[in-house]
Amino acid sequence: MSTCSDASGAIMPLPKVRRATGFGWALPALAFVGIFFVVPVAILLLRSVLEPVPGLGNYAQLIGSATYLKIFANTFIVSGLVTVISLLIGFPVAWALAIMPGRLTSVIFAILLLSMWTNLLARTYAWMVLLQRTGLINKMLIGMGLIDQPLALVNNLTGVTIGMTYIMLPFIILPLYGVIKKIDPSTLQAAALCGANRWQCLTRVLLPLAMPGMAAGALMVFVMSLGYFVTPSLLGGTANMMLAELIAQFVQSLVNWGMGGAAALVLLVVTLSLYAVQLRFFGNQNPGGR
Amino acid sequence: MLLNFDRLGWWKYVLLAITLLTAAFLLLPIVFIAALSFGSSQWLIFPPPGWTFQWYHELFADPRWLESALTSFKIAVIVTILSVLLGLVTSFGLVRGSFMFRDALKALFLTPMILPVVVLAVALYAFFLRIGLGGTLTGFVISHLVLALPFSILSISSALEGFDKSIEDAAVLCGASPLEAKIRVTLPAISHGLFSAAVFSFLTSWDEVVVAIFMSSPTLQTLPVKVWATLRQDLTPVVAAASTLLILLTIILMALVAVVRKVLKQ
Repeated sequence: MSTCSDASGAIMPLPKVRRATGFGWALPALAFVGIFFVVPVAILLLRSVLEPVPGLGNYAQLIGSATYLKIFANTFIVSGLVTVISLLIGFPVAWALAIMPGRLTSVIFAILLLSMWTNLLARTYAWMVLLQRTGLINKMLIGMGLIDQPLALVNNLTGVTIGMTYIMLPFIILPLYGVIKKIDPSTLQAAALCGANRWQCLTRVLLPLAMPGMAAGALMVFVMSLGYFVTPSLLGGTANMMLAELIAQFVQSLVNWGMGGAAALVLLVVTLSLYAVQLRFFGNQNPGGR
Repeated sequence: MLLNFDRLGWWKYVLLAITLLTAAFLLLPIVFIAALSFGSSQWLIFPPPGWTFQWYHELFADPRWLESALTSFKIAVIVTILSVLLGLVTSFGLVRGSFMFRDALKALFLTPMILPVVVLAVALYAFFLRIGLGGTLTGFVISHLVLALPFSILSISSALEGFDKSIEDAAVLCGASPLEAKIRVTLPAISHGLFSAAVFSFLTSWDEVVVAIFMSSPTLQTLPVKVWATLRQDLTPVVAAASTLLILLTIILMALVAVVRKVLKQ
């Protein structure tokens, strides 16, 4: 409605009036998010520099301790491992989904969505049972004659990696699928016409064209893994704690709000800066997950 | 040729094998849990020696499971209603409005989606301890709403963006009041967005565990918290039964979404 007709019936644009409209509609949500999101998070972070004494003591303690540094390292190792494995499995799956006949594709999509939306605890519980010493996986491996002693698959790095990769796979397959689907098949035909063999087509045409999607998906999975709480605490052992659990422990068992706030700030800064990288280079993607 | 399935040669079979194995991997825990919940082995041996409803009996016989399921349901329903209402009003402002920092405001509303949940959980826990909302139903609803609202705003905003406002204006020109036009013209047109907002909000609240762990009190806990607390002690098949019910609800909701989408498309 920014046009208006004059006496002769010709349509001419109205002068643009810059007036704030619609802000009132957003006000209730702003108040809600302000009070119950911004304020609590801000208070938590403030406490990291105010408690028990004002200063950067908590941060010094966090960086100065070998135990905490090990937890940081472990958080990055687990997230990195999960990202690499998800990418290695996710790329062929996304590629296949993009070109496979429709019927099978829709079945696999249904499975992807189902696993994404199935309760996180239910899935983690399943892996706790599947991976235990007497669990199905160990039994199958022994049955196939691959091992003769049950492997320790749970309460360690292996367990966390399997459980987390399981959860992250859909989050890497879905965006990658979108990217590969958009690639023009004629670029590959052109490469083939110019004499490229299949391997060259893959490494010099398809992979580079899918690279932005792979990087964006990988970054997202990495960031999500960094902050994960439920799966690492149930499938991991005491020896390889992750950052989210450390934060929970500071607050719940040690009632040390200063340190909890400091660890939360570290996690927050890493997460938000990686998201900023993501937004800057790859545009918006829908994240999600716990 | 790499993007043509039939002309992939033997690569085709490699891709197919990886895809099917991955699908099996994704499906395995879900099917496994459902099977296990009917297995008669206390020690979760698979395949079980026999089949039984024992774990479901135990689940329903224990008032604490039932109570936590009811608590979860009550919270999820309240969160869904509030999230859709607040999401709707906010989306009108964000999509139709023009004011300074509109994009920044939208980004702020979506931030709870990308923030590590544990940070929010700890922050709200401290805040609620101070203002006396810890372990209360209100506390649960507020904290779940913080997480559900972004999904609601996203779904409703995108539906509203796809709706041609001139239709609403036409209704006003034909004599409807602006509010009437919104209710009778715009709302039905964006109902698919409202519906996704409701489903996402419900599932977000129903499945939420991290924030709920910090919100819960000995007298008030949601189903996921009850599952969590039980899992820390032992891997009893009763949890398999509870998990199967959770999975079933997800499947029903997903099927409902698919059906409603199909109906709305026609």
